[in-house]
Amino acid sequence: MDERDPLIDRAIETLREPVRLDPSMDQRIMAELERGPAPRAGTQPLWAAWDWLRRGRSVTVSPLGGLAAAAALAALILVGQWGAARLNDSAPPAAALEAAAVQFVLVAPGASTVTVVGDFNDWSATATPLRRAPGDGLWAVSVPLPPGRYRYGFLVDGAQWVKDPAAPPALEDDFGRPNSVVTVRGS
Amino acid sequence: MRTEGDAALVRRVLGGDTGAYAGLVARYRDRLGRYAVRMLGNAADAEEAVQDAFVRGYRSLGRCVPPERFGAWLFAILVNRCRTLGAQRARRERTVVSEEAVVERASVEHTAADDAWRDAIAWALAQLTAEQREAFVLKYVEELSYEEMSELTGAGISALKMRVARARDELRRLLEDQHG
Repeated sequence: MDERDPLIDRAIETLREPVRLDPSMDQRIMAELERGPAPRAGTQPLWAAWDWLRRGRSVTVSPLGGLAAAAALAALILVGQWGAARLNDSAPPAAALEAAAVQFVLVAPGASTVTVVGDFNDWSATATPLRRAPGDGLWAVSVPLPPGRYRYGFLVDGAQWVKDPAAPPALEDDFGRPNSVVTVRGS
Repeated sequence: MRTEGDAALVRRVLGGDTGAYAGLVARYRDRLGRYAVRMLGNAADAEEAVQDAFVRGYRSLGRCVPPERFGAWLFAILVNRCRTLGAQRARRERTVVSEEAVVERASVEHTAADDAWRDAIAWALAQLTAEQREAFVLKYVEELSYEEMSELTGAGISALKMRVARARDELRRLLEDQHG
């Protein structure tokens, strides 16, 4: 796949050339920062309110390909209001909203790691890991989310993308990846 | 000249020194700009994506752990901004044109043949699917490993290898048509 190819090699060399954007962009960025809240250090661990014992609906799903797990169950539970830092910068200001603790749960007995990846954490593959509960291969994390609509999926073992079978699929999917969607309504 | 590391700048920003963020902007603007231009095909959208990534990064800076990883963390935000902007642009059915290589020509003189070649590459890159373009640029322009790409994109390594292979095949076909 990575065999030498003079035409492709030349294209790559060209694409690696530096690009210089408008020098005034830096000033625009700094001006934009002044218009909003400053970042806060010491964000609370997301599982501060981890509470997987809260019961939610569970559904049976098909086997996860590539995993040792024979099957997976998943549930998505709204576990109540939780005033916390907003995670979605495109959401309305946090001061005007109360975040709800949304619990993301996946049962994946064969998994070594599970993270939830969505627009609420800028699609970071590592920012929001789920914690494994003793026995049964249950993974869960609670994430405070202001009211809004969020797309997400689970990343199993850093490589396998799994939608949440307990949640509706996202209709718009930029990359054909099976996203799920959760809507957090205001109180 | 001694320069502060990313972690020191991040800590200063989190400590209330917003101006320290300018050092991070200056440090990463060009790398982010190159990726955004390659992905979005024009300077206007690229600047929007880069600016958006820096602002989002600033607002969420408390979640950049460890702060030494600021560059990779910010790059992941940009990758997602480019996805979102690219999808929005596709929905608007705006045609990507290659004229935006002008941002590169501003500082370097090129011959007409060079310009034609750059236009051909930009055009060919724009013909790929978003997934193929992303995989190709991450692999060969940003020189990430497949493991790093997988962590960044959420896609499996085998899927990424397939995208890269298809991108290479398609680019070769398109460039041979123009320059063969």
